[in-house]
Amino acid sequence: MTDDAIVRVRGLTTVLNGKTIFDSLDLDIPRGKVTAIMGPSGTGKTTLLKHITGQMRGDAGSVELDGLNVPELSREKLFELRERIGYLFQNSALLTDFDVFENVAFPLRQHTKLPEELIRNIVLNKLQAVGLRGAARLMPTELSGGMARRVALARAIVFDPALILYDEPFVGLDPIALNQVLLLIRTLNETLGITSVLVAHELAAVQKVADHVYLIANGKVVAQGDPATLANDGSPWTAQFFGGEADGPVPFQYPAGDYASALGFPGGKA
Amino acid sequence: MSSRNDNVVVRSLAQIGACGLFLLTILAAIPRSFRHGRETVRQIWFVGAMSLTIVMTCGLFVGMVLGLQLYDVLSIFGGTSATGTVVAIAIYRELGPVVTALLFAGRAGTSVTAEIGLMRATDQLDAMEMMAVDPIAYVAAPRFLAGVVALPLLGLVFCAMGVFGGHLVGVTWLGIDNGTFWSNMTATVDIHKDIVNGVLLKSFAFGIVVSLIAVFQGYTTPPTSEGVAYATTRTVVASSIAILALDFVLTSFLI
Amino acid sequence: MTQRRSYAVGTGLFIVLGFAALAYLATQTTSVANTSRGDTYTIDTRFANVGQLKVRAPVKVAGVRVGSVQAIDLVPGKEEAKVTLAIDESHKDIPEDSVATIYTSGLLGDQYVGIQFGQSKTPVKEGGEIGLTRPAQQLEEMLGKFFGGGSAPDRLGGTFHVTGSFTNIGGLQPGAAVKMAGVPIGSVESVVVKPGAVEATVTLAIDKRYSQIPDDSSAAVFTSGLIGSQYVAIQPGGSPEYLADGDSFVLTQSALQLEDLIGKFLVNGSPSENKPGAQGAATDNAGKK
Ligand SMILES: Nc1ncnc2c1ncn2[C@@H]1O[C@H](COP(=O)(O)OP(=O)(O)OP(=O)(O)O)[C@@H](O)[C@H]1O
Ligand SMILES: [Mg+2]
Repeated sequence: MTDDAIVRVRGLTTVLNGKTIFDSLDLDIPRGKVTAIMGPSGTGKTTLLKHITGQMRGDAGSVELDGLNVPELSREKLFELRERIGYLFQNSALLTDFDVFENVAFPLRQHTKLPEELIRNIVLNKLQAVGLRGAARLMPTELSGGMARRVALARAIVFDPALILYDEPFVGLDPIALNQVLLLIRTLNETLGITSVLVAHELAAVQKVADHVYLIANGKVVAQGDPATLANDGSPWTAQFFGGEADGPVPFQYPAGDYASALGFPGGKA
Repeated sequence: MSSRNDNVVVRSLAQIGACGLFLLTILAAIPRSFRHGRETVRQIWFVGAMSLTIVMTCGLFVGMVLGLQLYDVLSIFGGTSATGTVVAIAIYRELGPVVTALLFAGRAGTSVTAEIGLMRATDQLDAMEMMAVDPIAYVAAPRFLAGVVALPLLGLVFCAMGVFGGHLVGVTWLGIDNGTFWSNMTATVDIHKDIVNGVLLKSFAFGIVVSLIAVFQGYTTPPTSEGVAYATTRTVVASSIAILALDFVLTSFLI
Repeated sequence: MTQRRSYAVGTGLFIVLGFAALAYLATQTTSVANTSRGDTYTIDTRFANVGQLKVRAPVKVAGVRVGSVQAIDLVPGKEEAKVTLAIDESHKDIPEDSVATIYTSGLLGDQYVGIQFGQSKTPVKEGGEIGLTRPAQQLEEMLGKFFGGGSAPDRLGGTFHVTGSFTNIGGLQPGAAVKMAGVPIGSVESVVVKPGAVEATVTLAIDKRYSQIPDDSSAAVFTSGLIGSQYVAIQPGGSPEYLADGDSFVLTQSALQLEDLIGKFLVNGSPSENKPGAQGAATDNAGKK
């Protein structure tokens, strides 16, 4: 692909507990665009994000971020790199010791010596963007799932990083909040030129926000392209995935033995 | 690390080895953790100041019980005037550091383990990594340091309460002469042998061991509720054994 | 942040409380002066009896600690103990005609060396000697010789044997110490009652280094400390002849019934300085100079 790919994955192969998650995966994330990664549950979308940020290492292949080969970076270099990356955890992962305000302020406090006044302004600004400025003094346990997601989102963007990785940002959001979050991702991208990678299952939302979509299954990119047209490109993968069929090339079942013999019936295939 | 079908000895050895390596990791992270000085202060509050009530109460009762027992035994020899001396020495050299460390393991060690274990289970440690904050320097090292600082202080408070308890029983209730009680004590108790080598050195050593075990167990907890439950139990069991075994070793060197 | 500051204040209070406890323990329950360390010089003294004095015991002037006992030896060929005192450099002005006395602090307490200044303008030199001493016998004599203590010495130079007959040996056990002038010189080898005899025969194994014991010396069974074990004390006589291997003591003194005597003394345990005072050797030396 082009030179302005911020992330370049080549030949990534990862085996976890004997299960092949990635099988020589190639993928590029274009700089300054919003890229969506879709795929059935358990294909390794979260795992892919973890490879990009260096939380996990593959068994073979390379993951380049801004020209640096992530798996080979030292801990210090990796931390330096991460200061420029925002990451939204699939399960929010708010720090339960701190209230909402302090959670969002946490990266600022850790990496900058900004005056309290400025920190306050930035944090309230981000909380306002996700509609939770009034919840600044609540503790994480006092939040609903959707509120926690939005706080985690505010925390991920508090630094206005160069790259933001969202792991399922739309889960648990009501239609109003969903729209606001979509708008936020789009605005960040358009006004600040922030590259966004989002893992999501909601095709409608993805179509609104993403410039490019990858469909991952069986450890490979099985389809990619414009979100508006991808669903109807005629390939069996997209047809099944977006059509929601149980049968097709994408396995619905986690790899398992023959069902009949597992239930104890004789004469199963195995 | 150890696999499930290793026997107990191999598993324990693997745990001790991993624990030792973890100590090195923490020590290496301590210079970086100074950036998080506030967090250390906060942890001293949680593990130290919050343990004061239990430590003070127990210290008082231990001193009172010792006072009663010693008065009873020493009166056989007509030596009740030595009650204060023996209470002080027994508390400074053994009961103070050991009982405080055991209480500390139960009160603060378990909560540190459970807290870090839950942070692990809810991805908070990973989240910190992603925010380029080293969880060893931000979570493990401050709690470790806080324990190492807090335990000697708690030990001193325990001892002071113990002597007070001994005085309460011996002088106020049983009528040993106040001047005799103190003068015999001050004549015999040695600041170097009993306080520095007794309370301070032992508490410091126990502080290192208990904090290390608590932080290690939390950090290596399997991310499940069952895992956290087991880890807290292991903290208490391992700390208790380590405290008493180490006490024997230290005593045999110091005496 | 108020929340943060409150932690800091609370933690500060906690730390201050801990150090307050340390200060309290150090100043109220110990004698801080017990541990002055630093450069010292030595002075030799000789005592007829060092009693229970131990190495590292304090040396005090007017009740203030100025040093410690560095070594206790028996003067070769004499029935005298040589005690080497290590005095802090800061106390260089001890007159050479001072008197060194062994006191007991408290009834159960340890013994220490007290120095009372003389009139001389010349101080004792480093490595010099204080000639005037008073031994540690007062309390023992008074209480019926109950105090002493210490263990049997290593028999490096070989031993020779002497025996003594006692009408009552109390709780004396083989292995118990044999002392002269308070210094252990041997141990009890056996305690037997010969068939037909009414007295117990005690065999003492005495270090060859201490072979010059006058043959008219007496042996007595003493108790070391109030609840301590018993030992044999040898009180030298004046004869020019010495005891040889296989000889026996002419004079023996059997064990006293400690319990009868001691009860009267201990009913109201008394503070430190009373004992030497009661004996008349010194009075309240803490307030003197
Ligand atoms: N630490 C791990 N050890 C072993 N296997 C793992 C580990 N983490 C994930 N896996 C496996 O990797 C596969 C991919 O997991 P991942 O969390 O990336 O899925 P996902 O695509 O994000 O799914 P979802 O859409 O449900 O979030 C799963 O089959 C899972 O069983
Ligand atoms: Mg996932």
